[in-house]
Amino acid sequence: MSVTIALSKGRLLPGSEALFRRAGLPFPEDPGRRLVVSLDGLRYLFVKDQDVPTYVEHGVADCGVAGGDVLLEAGADVYEPFDLGFGRCRLVVARPASARPDPRSSSLRVATKYPRITAAHFLQRGVSVEVVRLSGSVELAPVLGLCDCIVDIVETGRTLEENGLAIVEEVAPSSARLIVNRASYHARRDVLAPLLSRLQGAA
Amino acid sequence: MMLSPHRLVQVPPGVQCFVGAEARRRRHIEETVVSVFEGWDYEEIIPPLFDYADVFGSPDLVARTYSFVGRDGSLLALRPDFTSLLAKIAAGRLAHRPAPMRLYYSGEVLRYEPPRAGAQSELFQMGLEHLGGAPTRADAEILAIAAECLDALGARGWVLAVGHVGVFHGLLAGVTLDPASMDRLRERVEAKDGSGVGAVLRETNAPAAVTEALQALGGLAGGRDVLEEAVRRFAAFPAAVAAVAELRAIVDALGEAGLGDRLAIDLGEVRGLDYYTGLVFRAYAKDLGFEVGGGGRYDTLLGRFGRPMPAVGFMLGLDRVAALLDRQQVAPPASVAPAETIAAEATGPALLEARRRRAAGARVRLDEQSQAESRRSRGDEEDGSARLPQERVSGPRSPESTR
Repeated sequence: MSVTIALSKGRLLPGSEALFRRAGLPFPEDPGRRLVVSLDGLRYLFVKDQDVPTYVEHGVADCGVAGGDVLLEAGADVYEPFDLGFGRCRLVVARPASARPDPRSSSLRVATKYPRITAAHFLQRGVSVEVVRLSGSVELAPVLGLCDCIVDIVETGRTLEENGLAIVEEVAPSSARLIVNRASYHARRDVLAPLLSRLQGAA
Repeated sequence: MMLSPHRLVQVPPGVQCFVGAEARRRRHIEETVVSVFEGWDYEEIIPPLFDYADVFGSPDLVARTYSFVGRDGSLLALRPDFTSLLAKIAAGRLAHRPAPMRLYYSGEVLRYEPPRAGAQSELFQMGLEHLGGAPTRADAEILAIAAECLDALGARGWVLAVGHVGVFHGLLAGVTLDPASMDRLRERVEAKDGSGVGAVLRETNAPAAVTEALQALGGLAGGRDVLEEAVRRFAAFPAAVAAVAELRAIVDALGEAGLGDRLAIDLGEVRGLDYYTGLVFRAYAKDLGFEVGGGGRYDTLLGRFGRPMPAVGFMLGLDRVAALLDRQQVAPPASVAPAETIAAEATGPALLEARRRRAAGARVRLDEQSQAESRRSRGDEEDGSARLPQERVSGPRSPESTR
């Protein structure tokens, strides 16, 4: 009975690979363009960052590694038993460093890859925002006048700096999490529990 | 941009339409579950489709209820669940009935659901309520009935994950949290996210021992030994230990009844905290990523309707059961036997023959009119659509007959 694991092909892949190797689990040498790789009773799915919670929530994968940012945005109903300690970054609000706050502006236009988090963040402070959904190069949007500010993740802050943006506030910290499907956690405990404890030991 | 000009044939998001084998499978599931309920001497209640909105007071449901204003100005709601309606009926219509009452229902509920795994706006639920019975015994009874339903349906690899909300409350006894922190805490415990629990409680005045205990709560899941571990860990919290003891009594009873290996302990199960007061459980199976049903003890609900008494119940979602059986390739019920075709030129004699065979219990199908007769009545066209496949025989309410 194999266990299916959803991993992100993106920024969390190196950390995920290191974790699985530390835990002494087989990991595909070079998945290349293959999206599904089976190895000694483990089946790895390589999918987009944002899709990891979806695969796990639907039970297509028993467990997976997802960024805290992606999890927060997805609002997926999955178990998140432990923090993996890598892929640390911060979700922040940033705006052009040169822009002076406009006291008359009662509404903001915000560009982001995280529309749910952004809407919730500003709603909580009673600021009405227009969320502009982008899928990449968000830093460019305020420079070109598409929006007043952005909500995005930063690791070092260099990309922001290079685009003349400054951090206004932090929305949430983020790091890689191990996530587990709820039904698998209980109904496939016999095969899943040993795997989870090895990963936890290596995290 | 118009995605489809054919709005009249579109189905609104969140609702479904079933035909052929799917419809038969659903009917079969309902009949199977209902016969188990009847077998345990539960009595069917057929509640109304809508009622006054304040009947459905559960805070979790209010935001998801389809409500509307009645002609007399009262606020009404399409039923988002059955339990409130059964509680109302038990306290009103059935006020003269002595406890315990064993009641069941089977039908649709309606809720606004954002589209996500396993969520529909129109849900078909089959459930029962055990009202006014002795707690541990009634809890064990409904778990055994849930188990029998899943077996009778032919589901495989299923477990009932059981918890007790009193453990969570017992750990928090004496700590006051604002509602927002409480929500976030509950959600993090539910996600088994120990570090998230720590982050929520860091901003409150919760003592370190409470934080530590709540961080461990989600991970207390697995076999019966989890209960011993909880008792050791939570020794400083008598109310939590008492709740664990209640759960252990239920688990032990089921063990003696031969269902021990069907239970999974999950002390992190804390959904519906505003509603449940004791046992909580969910039925999970491999091959389906989400639960097929669940339930628990709700001792405060009937008090709202003026007849306070302990209560416990559970329900199975028909859509989810059907999805599970599909994934597990449990054979759907055999399609019905082919009908005996009755061919006769004239309608009257054909009907007479059909009635005779029906009286003898046969399944019959009136043959289409002969070609000659058909040409006379419709002009000259050949009409292939008149030959419907067997499973789509129009019933007495075909559009033609109701017009």
